[in-house]
Amino acid sequence: MKWLLAVTAGVCLSAAETPAEFFETKVRPVLAKNCFSCHTQTKLGGLAMASREDLLKGGKTGPAIVSGDPEKSLLVLAITHQHERFKMPPSGAKMDEVSIGHIKQWIRDGAVFPEGPGTKQAGKQYIVTKEQRQWWAFQPVKNPAPPAVKNKAWGKSPIDAFILAALEAKDKKGMGPADRRTLIRRATLDLTGLPPTASEIDAFLADKSPDAFAKVVDRLLASPHYGERWGRVWLDVARYSDDKLNSTMDEPRPNAFRYRDWVVQAFNKDMPYDTFVKAQIAGDLLGKPELIAGTGLYGLSPEFQDDRVDVTTRGFLALTVACAQCHDHKFDPIPTKDYYSLLGVFNSSKQNEYPLADKEAVEAWTKKKKELDKAKEDLTNFYAKQTEQLSEIFAAKADKYLLAAQDKGPYDGLDGETIQRFRNYLKKKDRLAKIADSPAVFRAELIAVQEEKKQIDEKNNIRLGGSRERGDLSQADLLSLAPDKFYLWRDFYRNGGVFNYGPGKIDRFIEGQWREHLGLLKQIVETAEKALPEQYPFLHAMADNDKPKNEHIYIRGNRANLGEEAPRGWLTILSPEGGPPRFEKGSGRLELAERIANKNNPLTARVMVNRIWQGHFGEGIVRSTSNFGRLGEAPSHPELLDWLATKFMEKNWSIKAMHREIMLSSTYQMATGNIEGENRLLEQFPARRLDAESLRDSILSVSGRLNSELGGKAFPLEDVKQNRRTVYGYVSRRRTDTMLNLFDFPNPNATSEKRVNTDVPLQRLFLLNSSLMADSAEALDKKVEGSTPSERIQNGYRAIFGRTPTKAETDLGVQFTKAGGEAWPEYWQVLMATDEFLMVR
Amino acid sequence: MMTRRELLQTVGMGFGGCGLASAAATTHFPVKAKHVIFIFLNGGPSQVDTFDPKPMLQKYHGKPMPAGPNLKTERKTGNLLGSPFTFNRCGKSGIEVSEIFPRIGQNIDEFAVIRSMYTDRPNHEPSLLIMNCGVPLPGKPSMGSWLSYGLGSMNKNLPGFVVLCPGVPVIGSQLWTSAFLPAVHQGVHLETKDKDVRKLVPYITPRRSAEEQRKQMDLLASLNKLQSESKFESGVESMEVAFRMQKEAPEVFDISKEPEKVRERYGDTEVGRGCLMARRMVEKGVRMVQIYHGNGQPWDNHDDIQIHRKLANEADPAIGALIEDLRDRDMLKETIVLVGGEFGRTPSVEVSGLVSHQNGRDHNNHGYSMIVAGGGFKGGITYGATDDFGFKAVEKRVYAHDLQATMLHQMGIDHTRLTYRYGGRDFRLTDVGGEVIHDLIA
Repeated sequence: MKWLLAVTAGVCLSAAETPAEFFETKVRPVLAKNCFSCHTQTKLGGLAMASREDLLKGGKTGPAIVSGDPEKSLLVLAITHQHERFKMPPSGAKMDEVSIGHIKQWIRDGAVFPEGPGTKQAGKQYIVTKEQRQWWAFQPVKNPAPPAVKNKAWGKSPIDAFILAALEAKDKKGMGPADRRTLIRRATLDLTGLPPTASEIDAFLADKSPDAFAKVVDRLLASPHYGERWGRVWLDVARYSDDKLNSTMDEPRPNAFRYRDWVVQAFNKDMPYDTFVKAQIAGDLLGKPELIAGTGLYGLSPEFQDDRVDVTTRGFLALTVACAQCHDHKFDPIPTKDYYSLLGVFNSSKQNEYPLADKEAVEAWTKKKKELDKAKEDLTNFYAKQTEQLSEIFAAKADKYLLAAQDKGPYDGLDGETIQRFRNYLKKKDRLAKIADSPAVFRAELIAVQEEKKQIDEKNNIRLGGSRERGDLSQADLLSLAPDKFYLWRDFYRNGGVFNYGPGKIDRFIEGQWREHLGLLKQIVETAEKALPEQYPFLHAMADNDKPKNEHIYIRGNRANLGEEAPRGWLTILSPEGGPPRFEKGSGRLELAERIANKNNPLTARVMVNRIWQGHFGEGIVRSTSNFGRLGEAPSHPELLDWLATKFMEKNWSIKAMHREIMLSSTYQMATGNIEGENRLLEQFPARRLDAESLRDSILSVSGRLNSELGGKAFPLEDVKQNRRTVYGYVSRRRTDTMLNLFDFPNPNATSEKRVNTDVPLQRLFLLNSSLMADSAEALDKKVEGSTPSERIQNGYRAIFGRTPTKAETDLGVQFTKAGGEAWPEYWQVLMATDEFLMVR
Repeated sequence: MMTRRELLQTVGMGFGGCGLASAAATTHFPVKAKHVIFIFLNGGPSQVDTFDPKPMLQKYHGKPMPAGPNLKTERKTGNLLGSPFTFNRCGKSGIEVSEIFPRIGQNIDEFAVIRSMYTDRPNHEPSLLIMNCGVPLPGKPSMGSWLSYGLGSMNKNLPGFVVLCPGVPVIGSQLWTSAFLPAVHQGVHLETKDKDVRKLVPYITPRRSAEEQRKQMDLLASLNKLQSESKFESGVESMEVAFRMQKEAPEVFDISKEPEKVRERYGDTEVGRGCLMARRMVEKGVRMVQIYHGNGQPWDNHDDIQIHRKLANEADPAIGALIEDLRDRDMLKETIVLVGGEFGRTPSVEVSGLVSHQNGRDHNNHGYSMIVAGGGFKGGITYGATDDFGFKAVEKRVYAHDLQATMLHQMGIDHTRLTYRYGGRDFRLTDVGGEVIHDLIA
């Protein structure tokens, strides 16, 4: 009924207007807002909507409109959600009924569609609409009061009120508390990535004080292993790796680990999150040396065109600004210009190595390195000159060598190795036939080709202005020998050629003063090599360019096609209506950092508390943790999200405070039930498989093999002898470690919002056949004591699960290990492959 | 975390999750093809020396292009360079094929020769990504991952998507990544330099006898059952699959089981062994096998186009034998065999300072050729055309998305409907493009 009224209202309003006016005032704005982003230039589904013809022609599914008949028009079926597949616009709510009424009326009246401004020019004057500004994520963070609940006994914290109220609204309830053994295992794995030891469990079970669990949480938060787990949570977002993405070869960054360690320590020290953010964006500009390492976030960038904008906006703000590099964002109020405003900030900054040694040490090393480089250069030049001269000497006798090689002339005064080389050359198919009948002519050709090559090299050098830069080389129009001449030159003069004797090989020809000189040059290199110490440590960090400058828009993302200038500045949607403020200090990174790490920024705190929540429950309150835009998912508990964000800022952006808030709630302490379904409202604690790191670390830990040394250089994970924690394993952009890959480690080439959690047979092969499992089972076998099988089983259960086995479990174990010997390690291996071990509950 | 139902479904499909709502029962279109073998001539094979003969290019050899300046490519190029190879009319169709591909020539009536491919960038990395993952930046799933995700494997003891390469192509695993799709759909990369089949799949070599493992698995099942509140009962099932894989997978990969005569026909080269392995895998139900010709980018012949002959000597018998074997086994009709690289090469000679001599060609993203056989693609036809010199595709231009859409179509999939929601957006292989080319399919 309401719907009919709305349509009628539309008709009434249109009465006094011409069809063209009606279209311009009532229809075009609706189409522009809802349709044009995908259906003008982009033509999703083959449908363009830029003209009446476009609409009549339609897309892949047929005409979009039937002029005069709205009810038969696909467009109307789509926007009224009556069509089976098309429910437009694709995200968010249906259009309002008034707008739908206008469109129907317009089609009924013949779909007049005057040509006009708007569609193609949309990018020029970017205006954020009121509706866009009203999107939930752009609203200031509120401080909602916890709602009233019916079951007053269930909850113990404000968090529980939000969770329970939502459950009760759907006539649901939360599970009761998990048993204490489950709870301490959950908490310990959650905060440290390691299982609790039997004595830790015993102590907690024995502690009857009301704050027993709070004490456990505090103990875990104070453990250095806390940062090893939660630092890694951030490193997923920071797309951390220990190497540079190089297309063709491995290129390690041996100092990358300093950023990783800085992150781990920041978590351990509970660095306020706003400082943590600022340090990563602009740590070099804050005047605090200990914060410079944070800019490793960009110092270790994979260096794709959009990487730094992407990791900044998705990582800190959950906005997909990089989507706007070719066109205005299709769904969120992010004009292309915003992307290039930020790109300008990053392109006005550079990667910079900050030495971690005193000035003298750096200078001393640099000086010694220069000396070595110079010595090597001298040696190389000397050799090059000798090589060339020797080849000229041979070329002058090329006719004699040719004859000797065919055993047609004397060998006297000729070099034996060179004759042999010449023979090999002649063995190749057709070579002899191609050589002119007269050896003298061949000699002349060889001399000429060397001369011609020299001249060409000289001319090319002039054309290049002496440059050896790859960019210059690739664009230069250079000369070269004709192919046949080139092959001749290559076969005689290049490395491996008949007349070519390079370093080492040529030494036997060098005599007298020259020999003495060569010896001297070699000795200088050797001395310089010995004198050069290992390079001083340094940070992969950032610095501002001397001359910061704005970017221009790359039209459709094409760097060769520049559009208008995009002044460095802040995002439009997070700025007041007058337009975004510009950044004017240096590159603008510091201003960017201050805009992000800011209590007035509606996104920063929400995004981080949501990530923390996800770390505990597997899913965020907003499940798309790096996308709070219209294509992200709406928060399941918007008020709780705001309450947490407010608390976070009130508590000086303390991440540890948030862990306490969350973990001391009944919500966190709930049992895991058997309720099927999405569990979006948290009826039960969601179980999950151990992530790759926790899995490896847990196995090492229970078998007593874990080396818990903190920090330092990355070690290769494939080295089965190195039992440090997985967070210290070498992460490669080029080749992810097999085990990490198998257990859903994220791709380190882009920021990652969450771990997927698969269960596949290849993972089981790891549990069956990896040396980690085998070696750990062996280690357990050595470690677990007991005079009877059942006593050993008891002790093994304590080591692995921190509990006593049941009678049935003991019986199974006794039965299995009856044969003794290898049956024992096989048994321990099975225990570490049980669901109980692999799951966090 | 998946729900138990989803999990069981995954395990039920062996390696494949279930991308299509009810893949087993219905696909979007009738299924014409069940497998893909993609022979990737990495580096960028030249169209004008392989499948796109250009008389005008021969005529203007050594002269500037009369039609105007050369198009922009990665590096500087100069005058036109005629092909050093001759083209022969082959098969009943009489399609002209370069002399360096005689065995493909003999089988040309099985192939649709697409002469109007193009891509946006003259650089390897983005073009490799476009061809494999549909977008020029890393981080999106590869075609094989999409197929494995959408259709699952037909053999639960084998992976759905296998990549064979001696060494790694440029940017390596980015090209077979499952990105945000579940990791199980990632291509399993087998290093074909290694002839020890046991080294091909991680952790495949049993450490204990089958009997001992059987006992371990029975114990595991009993222990898990005692903890019966477990929601995740799949562990035991996927363990059973893993157990069977240990036996089956190495047998399939082991080409020493083939008669010597057969191995000779494919050639004892990496690409030859790869094609033979691919045939064995497809026979056992693997969804997609991709064979990279070699480590790095062998077909990237900036300096000397003559090197194409040596490379073709390796690839040609392998591809020829593969087509013949598939046809003889009546499997070609359900197996798409795609051959090509990430782009083509310029008809003009490269003169940049990065080449040692000027007898080669630069990258060419404006126009190149790919050939495709089987799986319902028409044989013995050419499609589209480049300009007179083979520089730019001008007729019926085909972008990677169009080819991908057409291949998916043959596999029964509407490329606009095989999507995955990630970070709030529905992603698909063909990004926002792609048109099925009906003229290519029977």
